[in-house]
Amino acid sequence: MLKSNCPQCGAPVEFKFSQAVQTTCPYCRSIIVRHDVNLEKVAEMSDIPQDASPIQLTTEGIYNNKAFYVAGRIVYEWHGGGWNEWHLAFQDGTSGWLSDAQAEYAVSFPVKNPVALPPAHNIVRGQNVRIQNIDMTVTTVTKARYAGTEGELPFEYWDKTELTFVDLRSPSSHFATIDYSEDPPLLFHGEMVDFDSLKLRNLRQFEGW
Amino acid sequence: MAAKAAPPQVRSLTCPNCGGAIELRGMAHTLNAVCVQCLSIIDTKSETLQIVQKFKAKERIQPLIPLGTRGKLHGDPYEVIGFQVRTITVDGTDYSWHEYLLFNPYKGFRYLSFYSGHWNDIKPLKGLPVITESGGRKAVNWLNTTYKHFQNATARTTYVMGEFPYQVRVGDEAAVDDYIAPPYMLSSETIPGEVTWSLGEYKTGADIWKAFNLPGSPPPAVGAYANEPSPHTGSAAKWFSIAVALWTLTFVLLVATALFSSNEKIFSTLYTYSENTPGEHSFVTPIFEVKGRPSNVEIELGTNLHQNWAYFNMALINEQTGQAWDFGREVSYYSGSDWSEGSASDTVRVPSVPAGRYYLRIEPEMDDHPTDFYTTGPRNVTYSVTIRRDVPTYWPFVIAFLLIPVPAIIAVIRSWAFEHVRWQESDYATTSGDSGDDDE
Amino acid sequence: MTKQLLYIIYGLALATGAGVYNYRGMSMASMNELRNVPKSIRDNPGAYRSHYGYRPRYFGGK
Repeated sequence: MLKSNCPQCGAPVEFKFSQAVQTTCPYCRSIIVRHDVNLEKVAEMSDIPQDASPIQLTTEGIYNNKAFYVAGRIVYEWHGGGWNEWHLAFQDGTSGWLSDAQAEYAVSFPVKNPVALPPAHNIVRGQNVRIQNIDMTVTTVTKARYAGTEGELPFEYWDKTELTFVDLRSPSSHFATIDYSEDPPLLFHGEMVDFDSLKLRNLRQFEGW
Repeated sequence: MAAKAAPPQVRSLTCPNCGGAIELRGMAHTLNAVCVQCLSIIDTKSETLQIVQKFKAKERIQPLIPLGTRGKLHGDPYEVIGFQVRTITVDGTDYSWHEYLLFNPYKGFRYLSFYSGHWNDIKPLKGLPVITESGGRKAVNWLNTTYKHFQNATARTTYVMGEFPYQVRVGDEAAVDDYIAPPYMLSSETIPGEVTWSLGEYKTGADIWKAFNLPGSPPPAVGAYANEPSPHTGSAAKWFSIAVALWTLTFVLLVATALFSSNEKIFSTLYTYSENTPGEHSFVTPIFEVKGRPSNVEIELGTNLHQNWAYFNMALINEQTGQAWDFGREVSYYSGSDWSEGSASDTVRVPSVPAGRYYLRIEPEMDDHPTDFYTTGPRNVTYSVTIRRDVPTYWPFVIAFLLIPVPAIIAVIRSWAFEHVRWQESDYATTSGDSGDDDE
Repeated sequence: MTKQLLYIIYGLALATGAGVYNYRGMSMASMNELRNVPKSIRDNPGAYRSHYGYRPRYFGGK
């Protein structure tokens, strides 16, 4: 846990999660990146579009018998709607991602040093790709735009422009996504999950529900 | 740490085209909403509430479950927030069905489809089914169940109401493939850039009316639907294996009967009768003994009648108890060059005769002046009386063998008839003309 | 009560019915059962009046 002050406005700021590299100042909307003990303001947080996810920062849950809490998120928008990538901070210090799109959920983890992935212009729906020894099929190729970030992230991520995401699925409910916003592209691998299986607590309250 | 988000309110919008009120229940998920007054589709996320489509409809279609109705499915509450009519054209005829979009802020979205009184409860699939084949036709496998291909068609959206978390336009087309494993159905929808799989479970109108507490009665189901579970339980194999087991039991009892029936001869004597001999013609046989458990007593008359008939009044009498069985037997036998009628012998079985000492009282009769053309034999008859007890009777076993398979055959025929009606709606109908286009 | 269970009962009834028919020596022949036929009939069979009351039919003719 690192407690310090926002380099922009001086307000108290915390990095609760040990692996967090970036967070947002809740007072002045600055995006702050941490270099050891020094903090640097890198951008301004844009207006996050209003969303209807029942998950919020500080929501807690369990995945694969490991407890986590939601430390931050990245928001994306595309022609067909929007979705959240919630940063799950696990008790053992690892990070995972909960993809939340129209109330369909998937938990995935970054794959370090993935085998060479097809380039963005060379990947199409229906194509078979082998991800970590699982045969998967490309289900969507989405051109999206970054719509904001909030809370703590385990890497630096802000102000991305046009991004391409490729989702892959398998017969055994495996899920993978390739994020072409970086070079080499980032690979995340996990599975589709039922809302109930995460045993989420401290969810957002909806009036009338 | 970010502040907790404020609970969202259910919003109301004013239609930019006609000023009508549009109520939004899908919260921030909603991307497109329809003004039902002027049939405009609005982009709810645009600042200016941009109208993305204005469509026409010959008539306003009323959803069976009104928008905003809440119901309980799988223990969770869901609210109807969107409604679509989708149409396919097969052999020049349009077939339309309804789709209801249901929303729960925690559990997400599901769908209900409605067609001709048949309902389906549909959820997007978490994984990808494996393409396979079954019986020479396309199929998919999901969670160890094989779903047989039922229909391929191009579905176009012809009417929308309410709100959706994605883009909708009247005229949107998708290639739909349905695969069935009643009561379940897997459907794939393909639009450029995306394939979506969903799993539907058949529901009756009564199920839906109960879940949503709707008034009145649901529309009755017409015909058989793709994934409608068959009302006839049990596979053909199961019925026929029961039939075989019953046959086996019958055969075992038949063999037991054949082996354990005593078929014991207890009396055999020859007698003569002459119509013209004067005096009393009735007589009694010597006493014979019937032993063992109460069983039948068989009396066989073997006569020398030809072109003749005789009638035998008989009574089997228990010498000690006075119990008697009284009956009459007619024996007649006629023949010509290429025909014959009747038989010169006769067998009768007296039922459930208890052990004891018995005799037979016999009184034969013949016509003393027969007036018919055919009775030309002499006015006398010589006949043997042979008595046996515990004689096996086989015809009840024959009846059992014949009747045993009947319910199985009927059940299997009815089951096949239902399946035939079901598959008549598919791309694989066997009557003249196909009922589906194959896009591939 | 599933349809298959009813079927098994039906089949058992048919099979055991055939078995019982034989065990009890049943018959379809039309009979008249009497009691108390006097022992004197052995000496005087002509005195016995058949209660069966079945008139023999004539083949052809009147």
